[in-house]
Amino acid sequence: MNTFSDIVERIRGLLFRRSDERELAEELRFHLDMETEHLRRTGVSEHDARRHSLIALGGVERVKEDVRDARGTRLFQDSGADVSFATRTLRRNPGFALVAILTLAIGIGGTTAVFSVVNAVLLQPLPYSQPGQLVRLYQNSAAHPDDRGFVTPVHYLDYRSRMSSFEAAAAIETYSEVGADIGTGDGVRRIRLLPVTAEYFDIVRVHPEIGRGLQPQDENATVVVVSHSLWLEQLRGDRSAVGKTLTMSGRPYVVAGVMPDGFRDPIVGSVDAWVPVDLAPGRDVSNADNHYFSVIARLRGATPIASSQAELDALSLTLAKQYPSASYVRARLYPLKEDIVGSSSRALEILLGAVALVLLLVCVNIANLMLVRGSERAREFAVRSAIGAGRARLVRQMLIESLTLALAGDVAGLVVARLSMSGIVRLADGAVPRLETLSLDPRLLLFSVVVATACALVFGLAPALRIARTQPGDVLRGQSRSSTGGSAQMRLREWLVVSQVALAFVLLVAAGLLLSSFQRIRDVPLGVAPANVLTFELHLPTVRYDSTRRAAFYDDLAATVAKIPGVRAAGGISRLPATGNYHVWGTQPLTGPLARTPRGDIGAQQRVVAGDYFRAVGIPVIEGRVFDAQDVSGAPDRVVVSQTFARRLFPGMSAVGQRIAAGGRQSDIIGVVGDVSINNEGAEAAYVYHSHRQWAGNRAWALTQVVSLNTSRAHVERPIAGAISAIDQQLVMFKPAMLEDVIGRGAAQRVLMLRILLVFAGVAITLAALGLFGVLSFGVRLRAREFGIRMALGADSGVVRRMVLRKGFAVTAIGLGLGVVGALMTSRLIASVLFHVSPLDPRVMLGSILLMGAIAGLAAYLPARRATQSDPLSVLGSE
Amino acid sequence: MPPAPPAQPAPDRADLLQGTLEMLVLKTLALEPLHGWGIAHRIQSMSKDVFLVTQGSLYPALIRMKRRGWVKTSWRVTENNRRARYYELTAAGHRQLDTEHSTWQRASSAINLIMSATLAPEGA
Repeated sequence: MNTFSDIVERIRGLLFRRSDERELAEELRFHLDMETEHLRRTGVSEHDARRHSLIALGGVERVKEDVRDARGTRLFQDSGADVSFATRTLRRNPGFALVAILTLAIGIGGTTAVFSVVNAVLLQPLPYSQPGQLVRLYQNSAAHPDDRGFVTPVHYLDYRSRMSSFEAAAAIETYSEVGADIGTGDGVRRIRLLPVTAEYFDIVRVHPEIGRGLQPQDENATVVVVSHSLWLEQLRGDRSAVGKTLTMSGRPYVVAGVMPDGFRDPIVGSVDAWVPVDLAPGRDVSNADNHYFSVIARLRGATPIASSQAELDALSLTLAKQYPSASYVRARLYPLKEDIVGSSSRALEILLGAVALVLLLVCVNIANLMLVRGSERAREFAVRSAIGAGRARLVRQMLIESLTLALAGDVAGLVVARLSMSGIVRLADGAVPRLETLSLDPRLLLFSVVVATACALVFGLAPALRIARTQPGDVLRGQSRSSTGGSAQMRLREWLVVSQVALAFVLLVAAGLLLSSFQRIRDVPLGVAPANVLTFELHLPTVRYDSTRRAAFYDDLAATVAKIPGVRAAGGISRLPATGNYHVWGTQPLTGPLARTPRGDIGAQQRVVAGDYFRAVGIPVIEGRVFDAQDVSGAPDRVVVSQTFARRLFPGMSAVGQRIAAGGRQSDIIGVVGDVSINNEGAEAAYVYHSHRQWAGNRAWALTQVVSLNTSRAHVERPIAGAISAIDQQLVMFKPAMLEDVIGRGAAQRVLMLRILLVFAGVAITLAALGLFGVLSFGVRLRAREFGIRMALGADSGVVRRMVLRKGFAVTAIGLGLGVVGALMTSRLIASVLFHVSPLDPRVMLGSILLMGAIAGLAAYLPARRATQSDPLSVLGSE
Repeated sequence: MPPAPPAQPAPDRADLLQGTLEMLVLKTLALEPLHGWGIAHRIQSMSKDVFLVTQGSLYPALIRMKRRGWVKTSWRVTENNRRARYYELTAAGHRQLDTEHSTWQRASSAINLIMSATLAPEGA
């Protein structure tokens, strides 16, 4: 055989398909004419001659098909034809195409986006070398073993030198007072400074791209390692910047190194500069109750965390004897990743479950759509099969049609994925750690594309295969029920809808539970009145503000601001209320029944306040008084405590007038104030409030200002800024925000999850309703003849309507029953993210059943109404 | 001209042997270039109406032979002034005809030997 001419002919055939077809038609016509002419000449009549020659030819189209086969370009040509035919068919039925493509788009897009979030936050390791070795160390006490207390400098020094299973342990200053002002004049801005020990860089195993990290001998030196962006901004990207001086808060620092671009601290994220932490307080045993370090460590080699923990437990026993006064003597190690991701992980697992449910629902829906479509086209396929279409050809046609549909869905899914990704990042608004690393993972995309496409293909093909097996004659003779609505197939479709209802119900319950938790959280008393309270930060440069000036400044500021029209009260505090743990110090009663007993030894939240703080945030004074002008630095140390604190340490008696020890000082309790939640979920905590004027000398507190308003924020923000610059032109109002928003930010993660689940539940209900509607409508069409006869025989429309509704009711009821079982099975998973709501909350369950039932009722009513609206005569006449 | 064939094949008609159609077409075209109907008609008359070539097999066979380079085609005008596609043997087609012809001769004479054999005593 001449291979070359073969290939040339095939290619030519592809290129000149149109003219080939024309020539073939002409050739066959010529043949037919010749044959007819030939017969006619032998005496046959014109008409008979034509007929005979046609029969002899064996059907023009059949011959054409065979010739096309012989050309050897068949596969390509037909596929092309199939694709264009498929698009035409789909365009002729835009409703079906649109629903299928949208369903696929939601399935692929939604699942990919949410899965990417889970992947970015949960599955991907920390971006440091051998992240499995990284642990975080928290201190706790025998009474509170699950506490995650910060670490005292005293204990840190012991952990660092005595833990042999640690390759290294680093201490990081926990509190945000340690910022610095950089620049001069109007260009002054606050940067984020992170005091760390020298081990820090070894533990994260990221070293400066220029220069070096901090060294052990740097401990009290004024050296700084700057971030890449600060290096570009303040040192103009000078590669010889090492050794030069950078002035921060008026103090000259020697630049030791520049960190590589994109390096982020594992705990706090973006940092502008790293300076040596001051370890001197750790050498003073009196600080064994002063918890202010975050400690991270790297385990040596492949040391399991459990064996390191065992060593730590043994060391804790020794340390307890060494520092008998310390209240938190034990410590526990947590994998660093778990510590950072922590609370998000369960939420993300639930989202992942929701994604799986939605993907399943999408597949069920696609299956249903494809089955209906296959049934509807049984007749078309029978006709095509009867006039000579090969069975393989029909199946291939169906395959290509499904593929075309799936491809369109995939593309739409890609778009939806991109959109929902940016949507999720916007919704999350910093509430989910590490979300900034989010990107569309091609493997994930591939996964959902493959799943959705496979689903479309399998269920698109199933009807085609079945049609290929049926005898076209049967279908065409009108025994169509055997192939279009075979009762087995109808049952399959009904079960698909049942599963849809069940899946949608599970999602609906989850969304309902979350919504209900969210309402509970909103309603929970926080102990403060955050409405209409403006907050902002003010950072006082340490060079120009010594402790005396700072003490005076914050009170003067509060007094000045309070005089501005529209301001009710103004004050400052070291940590805004209901925004989490901060300064948990060991605290002991010195008087009362629990004086100097282990039970009286508690870790209490310590806050430093200035001005009229309590009135500004609406904390009521229960007993005694709050700080006033008498509580100055020379006066005896005085504290105000919360009700919970008073109840715990001075049960059954008045706390006012009692004495406590906290933060290395002994103080008199002068008043008791209302309880304040530690977070936005209403968790109670014991508070001790100190007066800033008495504590200004302790450290450079950066008090966040709170200003309660009886007018809108816009009216007072400018006068307040004016008042600040009247006191000191270089000070700026930093990060102004409403207290409500600041407290609410902690709930953002819950809000994010709630929103995603609500969207998913909405999608699920819609899909289930569409499925039910589709199945019932189809059933009605199949039984149109029966309904027509019934109505012609006198059945009133109510009877017919009830017949359809009953079917819808049965499907929904079974689906709901299974859905309740599913909700029970998933209740344990979701319980951990709920707040004051039982996972089997009857209100939510009942509400979900009613909502689902109502939507199902609507979906069933429309086909039921159509069943009664058909005119018996026209239905019967059409058969 | 033979009488018109009726719709049903005549009882003395035989099916074409598997694989022989191409050889017959090659032979027909070796005599002179012809159009499709001409080839079918010529085979039928040369075989004295024993072989009836259906168009359903003829045209696909012609396409295959063209792909293999045995025939070439051209559009010409027939004696009664109609446009028709003529098929013509190429050099490769002539070689193919020779090959198939000799193969056929060997095969048919072998078959004839078998079919005409009588039982003769061995070693006689």
